[in-house]
Amino acid sequence: MAQTIAEKLFSRHNLAGKPVHSGDFLEARIDGAMMHYHANEPMHDLALQAGFKDGLPRVWDRDRVYVLLDHHQPTLSQKQADENALIRREVERLGIKCFHDSEPGIAHQMMADYGLTRPGELVVGNDSHTISYGALNSGGMGITRADMLYVLLFGELWFQVPPTLKLVLNGKQPNYPIAKDIILHLAGQYGDDFAGSMSIEYAGTLTPQLSIDSRMCLSAHGVEVGAKLAMFPCDDTTREFLKTRTDKPFEPIAADVDAVYEKEIVLDVDSMPFAVAKPHQFGNVGPVSDVAGVAIQQAIIGSCANGRFEDIEIAARMLKGRKVAKGMRFLISPASQQVYLQCLKAGLIESLIEAGAQVVTPGCGVCQPKVGFLSDGEACITATTRNFKGRKGSMKADIYLAGPLTVAAAAVAGKIIDPREVFDGI
Amino acid sequence: MAFDLNRTLSGRVWKFGDSIETDAINPYYRYPTMEELKLHTMEAYRPEFPKEVKAGDILVAGRNFGCGSSRPGLVLREVGIAVILAESVSRLFLRNSIARAIPIFVAPGITKIVEDGATLEVDYPAGVVRVPASGASVELRKFPPVIEQIFAAGGLPESAYARYMRETAKQNN
Ligand code: SF4
Repeated sequence: MAQTIAEKLFSRHNLAGKPVHSGDFLEARIDGAMMHYHANEPMHDLALQAGFKDGLPRVWDRDRVYVLLDHHQPTLSQKQADENALIRREVERLGIKCFHDSEPGIAHQMMADYGLTRPGELVVGNDSHTISYGALNSGGMGITRADMLYVLLFGELWFQVPPTLKLVLNGKQPNYPIAKDIILHLAGQYGDDFAGSMSIEYAGTLTPQLSIDSRMCLSAHGVEVGAKLAMFPCDDTTREFLKTRTDKPFEPIAADVDAVYEKEIVLDVDSMPFAVAKPHQFGNVGPVSDVAGVAIQQAIIGSCANGRFEDIEIAARMLKGRKVAKGMRFLISPASQQVYLQCLKAGLIESLIEAGAQVVTPGCGVCQPKVGFLSDGEACITATTRNFKGRKGSMKADIYLAGPLTVAAAAVAGKIIDPREVFDGI
Repeated sequence: MAFDLNRTLSGRVWKFGDSIETDAINPYYRYPTMEELKLHTMEAYRPEFPKEVKAGDILVAGRNFGCGSSRPGLVLREVGIAVILAESVSRLFLRNSIARAIPIFVAPGITKIVEDGATLEVDYPAGVVRVPASGASVELRKFPPVIEQIFAAGGLPESAYARYMRETAKQNN
């Protein structure tokens, strides 16, 4: 029977060794486990609660557990420093080999930067945006901390094979990133759970033109539209990206031509407007013209959705020779040290600083938030992941989500504005 | 804490809308301790909730309950919510709840048959949710055995512990 990418992924990893189909429950073998080890709910405490008197007794495979301290780098309190110290002791005790300790950055970007998630693999992480590995044809899935305890011990976990939504993106890549506009537009059209508990498979004429940066934005945002997986095909762009990052072999997964899809959505990106999500939900989307003129005090480019080279590059390109509006706080946070370095070498950071932007250490800081809080009555436009009420401090502040180009335009204008009114050549 | 799926429950309903996110359920980055969280859970939607919720109350929500970051809803159990029923549940919130043996059931149509403050009866064994006052009912989706076993063990960490002990005992024999 013909299979989707999700069906093949789970069939390949099924412990029972049988092919599985949409709706089946299975116990699967895990290829990699990404975790912070500690955030919100400590893994060590969970192990104690479960009954392990001395904490976790082992990890199933020391080469397949990746610990990255992204959420707490650099530490903002002694409490965090103490937590990081505990993680260091635990990593040492359990013999975990891959540990990115004193390195700021978002774990998901670092997983890609260091080639730790490869096509055809089933990689879990205890963070919802683990789904972004689908950009590399890797079955990245967010799991919960309690699930992770099970994975760490046995390298196995239960799943239900999701039905698949085929997302056909047709059109031409313009000379600026449009991944954010695509996903916001779709959430606005079809609701913020249009891919609820499904696997998204990206197809269409635009898909091969998308950069890995854009693919990671779309895959990361799979979670904002409810998806379990958000898979891109493995093509030359994928191989080129992985070439310098991993020398481990991998086996990509492609869907069968006659695979059965639960749903299909076709989007023509050439006729798509710049999209903005209004407060306080991801699906509350309209064209930028709907909110043009709204005064903005803070603009942000960053996060696992839009903190990549192309996002920062478009801002730098557009801000060259211009100034950030008076009273505007324009925060830019590269997704990782590798991305930061790439931006530095390309001269982007210089242009941004000259224009009046401020660069924040790589990591989740601008998203969570750890930096860049809002006061009552303020408004922020941001190319990060979420606009829930209170996400950036005040419950009485407004958060708008948009692509990096629209954010850069607002940073210059001091208000939400169609980027075409501010910038030439787009 | 094991949850006995065979128990039927009845309680007062707190009704919420669609796409209630985990930032509202569990705003841990603003209120890092459980004691603080208990005073603030769900206040983004209903400021009176943390003050007035009582042990045994039932939470009813619309589509996509628990969307957003992967965060457990332990605080809802802590404030006394006995069971959560929703039109649909975001997958990570569902995984989180199952792994911690927090009763959460998908019952399509639930928001149409029950109003805020009404009494609701939840009968998992029969796979049905009823509103005694009106007699209206909807089907509740039952879990497959692999998930029912997690509830019986008291959660996934507890079930991991049991498996680990079983396997190491076997090796030592
Ligand atoms: S950047 Fe934001 S959404 Fe992404 S992993 Fe970090 S905190 Fe989560």
